[in-house]
Formats: sequence, C-alpha cells, structure tokens
Amino acid sequence: MKSTKIYDNGHQWFMFGRDPEKPESIIDTNQYMIVTDERALLMDPGGIEVFAPMLGAILHHANVEHITDLFASHQDPDIISSLGLWDQALPHAKLHAPWIWESFLRHFGMENIQYVGIPDEGSEINLGTVNLKFIPAHYLHASGNYHVYDPKARILMSGDVGAALESDQSPIFVDDFEEHIPKMKMFHQRWMPSNRAKNDWIKRVRELEIDYLAPQHGRIFKGENVTKFLDWFEALEVGTAIAS
Amino acid sequence: MSTDSKLKESRFVALASIAAELHSVMAVAKGVSLAAKNAKYISAQAGENALGFQPITDFIDEISQQAITGVNSINEAALKLSKIAVYEQRSCNAYQRFNLVYTKHKNANHIKSLSDTMIRVEDKMETTSKKYKHRLNELVELLESMDECMRSAQSIASVSRIVTSSSNEYQAKLEIVANSLDEAAKFIKEKVSGSYHHLNHIKAYSNG
Repeated sequence: MKSTKIYDNGHQWFMFGRDPEKPESIIDTNQYMIVTDERALLMDPGGIEVFAPMLGAILHHANVEHITDLFASHQDPDIISSLGLWDQALPHAKLHAPWIWESFLRHFGMENIQYVGIPDEGSEINLGTVNLKFIPAHYLHASGNYHVYDPKARILMSGDVGAALESDQSPIFVDDFEEHIPKMKMFHQRWMPSNRAKNDWIKRVRELEIDYLAPQHGRIFKGENVTKFLDWFEALEVGTAIAS
Repeated sequence: MSTDSKLKESRFVALASIAAELHSVMAVAKGVSLAAKNAKYISAQAGENALGFQPITDFIDEISQQAITGVNSINEAALKLSKIAVYEQRSCNAYQRFNLVYTKHKNANHIKSLSDTMIRVEDKMETTSKKYKHRLNELVELLESMDECMRSAQSIASVSRIVTSSSNEYQAKLEIVANSLDEAAKFIKEKVSGSYHHLNHIKAYSNG
C-alpha cells in the first residue's frame, strides 16, 4: 500500500491507499493518519481486506502502541469493517465514531476498544500538540456522519464528500478540476441523499480555512481546487435516484 | 479454498447441524412422555392384570425426561462450542494477518512493536483452544450419555413386551406403548449417530 506524507510541521498527516495488491472487486479507499509526538489517530481505517497492507504501511511511520485513537466517519464496511482486527491489535485504543452507529458498529466485533460516541453537534479531540474537530456531516451520506478538521494543518478529512470513482493508480492530488468532475459527479448525485444537508455542510465548511480537502476515495483537493469543489458541489443536485 | 479453511467452515456447520439433528428428538421425547402417562392410566385400569407393567411406566417417563434434558444440554453445549469457535477463529484470523505484516514488512521502522501484540494474541488463542477442547469433551460425554439412555429405553421396551403378554385385554394397548418407546429409542439413537458423524468433522479440525 502506498503511503504519502501530506503534512509535516510539528505533527504529520499520512494518506494510505492505491494498494496494488488489493482485490480488483473492492473499491479503492484512502485511509489517513495523524501522528503527534505522543499519539496517533487513524481515520477511516478501512475494510478487512486492506487491514494487513494498512498495518504494514503504518509500521513504517509509527509503532503499534503509538496508535491510541481510531475514527470512523460512519458505519460503512469500506470505512471500518476491519474493526474486529484492530480490536485485537490495539486493545487499549479508543474509537471515535457517531453515537448513532455504536450498536451497529459493534457487529464488526469490538471487545477491547473503547467506543467514544460523537454527539450530533460534533466534538473535539486533543492529541497532545494538536486539537482536532469532529465536524458534523450528517446525511453526507450516512445519517450519522462526521469529518475531521485540523485547524493547524488546515486539512479537512471529508469522508465521502469529494470522493471520486477512478483507477487505483490515479494521482494523489486533483490536478485539473474540470477533468475531475466526471469522476465524482455520479457518486455525489447518487450517494448524497439531501440537498438541504449538502448546503448546510457547505455553509459551515466555507467558514473554515482549508488548504487540503481529503476524501476517502479518489484524490485530494489542494488550494484553489478546494473552493472550486465547494462551488461545484453547491450547484449540484443530489439524491437523484428518486425521479422528480 | 484450502483444506484447512474447508474444515474450519464445516466446524461451524457441523455444530449447527448437531443442534438441528437433535431438535426433532425433543418432539419424540415429549411424545414418549405422554405415552408413559397414558400407559400409567391404562395399567391403573388394568389393575392386577398389569401389575408388572405399572413400575415400567415410571421408567419410561423417567427416560423421556432424561432425553428432554439431554437434548437441551446438548444444544446448549453445541451453542457454547460454536461461540468459542467463532472467538478462536477471529483471533486466528487476526494472528494470520499480523504474521503476514511481519513477513512482508520486515524492514519497516516499527515492525518490532508488533511482537507484543502477536504474543498477546497467541496466548489468547492458546487459552481459547483449551476452552474449546474442554467444551468439545463435554459435548462428546453428553452424546454418549444420550446413547446410553436410549439403549436402556430399548431394554425397557423389550421387558415391557414380555410383561404385557400376561395383561389379557389390555395387552394390545400396552404393546402400543412398548412399541412407541422402542421406535422412539431407535429414532433418537439414529439422531445421536448422525450427531457423532458431525462431531467427527469437528474433531478432524481440532486435531488438524
């Protein structure tokens, strides 16, 4: 699995993905990790299939005991079906995830890890040298859904918002925004159910200072492409599976 | 699919099959219990003509109760064993993946930090394996006990036939009870034998 350091200034952000050994039939996912001197937070650690390559990639940057916290933006299998395996690897870790999904996520097998339910209004986590915000993103796409904002690194881990369906070998960053649109249009129209939820999220996110918008599938938006994405998403009609 | 994973798969199916196999025994055992109560009534009516049969009805009732209790215990033991097997499988699954990481990422800076995790999971697997073997022996004993119980039931059925031959006009009625006990015992023995067959799959995994 490929690992890319996307930020390094006092603490680090890593992105993992583009695994060449991943079975073709499963969707490619981006996993993220924030490492501080004392702790590490693993965000949307992925499905069972990517557990071993993911753990292997992590061990190049942090040791097992360093990973104290996990975050799941929502309950989907590509986000967190590896939970039962992380539960064996990190018995003392905490899982920060939507309160609404606790009894569902426990079906993946969780006997050791502590579940910290994120309230509807969001919350914060302090990793020692960095304070992170769990930003509500309900109905984008799950009914209980959060993104992670790092005000110091100015990075928003945006879960399925900004996701694109494309080749496993695609670059890490969006280069040409216009060319990227066809790769994400259908995904957002179909997976995102609510225009109201979408517009509320855009309004709140526009108030944040964001250099990188990092989705769970596809490429990271950098600099002016972040604003371009927000403008494009605002204009997009979502929830299109229901005929109007 | 490897032979090992086929065996693992059949272990869960085999445990569920034992419970399913013996589920039908419950209805039969309840039927025998009812027949025993009926026989008690008939032999009371028969009075001196069925003197030898009266204590036998108590045995029949006792055996049917033993069968009902036995089936419940076997179901419970199979369920417990199945839960331990799932738990063992999960630890084993995690360990295999840790091992894969260890082999493939020998040169990772922090690879040694995985050693403690692997030792911990290995210890857990050993403890679970001991629990599993203990529960498996318990299940074997319960099946043996059920088999023994049904052998007794068949002996009682034979004795019943001899005793009923001197019961004059009640002979036919009491013979029906003896036959129903014999048939029930045969049926239950068949089910126990089927359970042994499933148990062999489970044992093959444990020894494998």
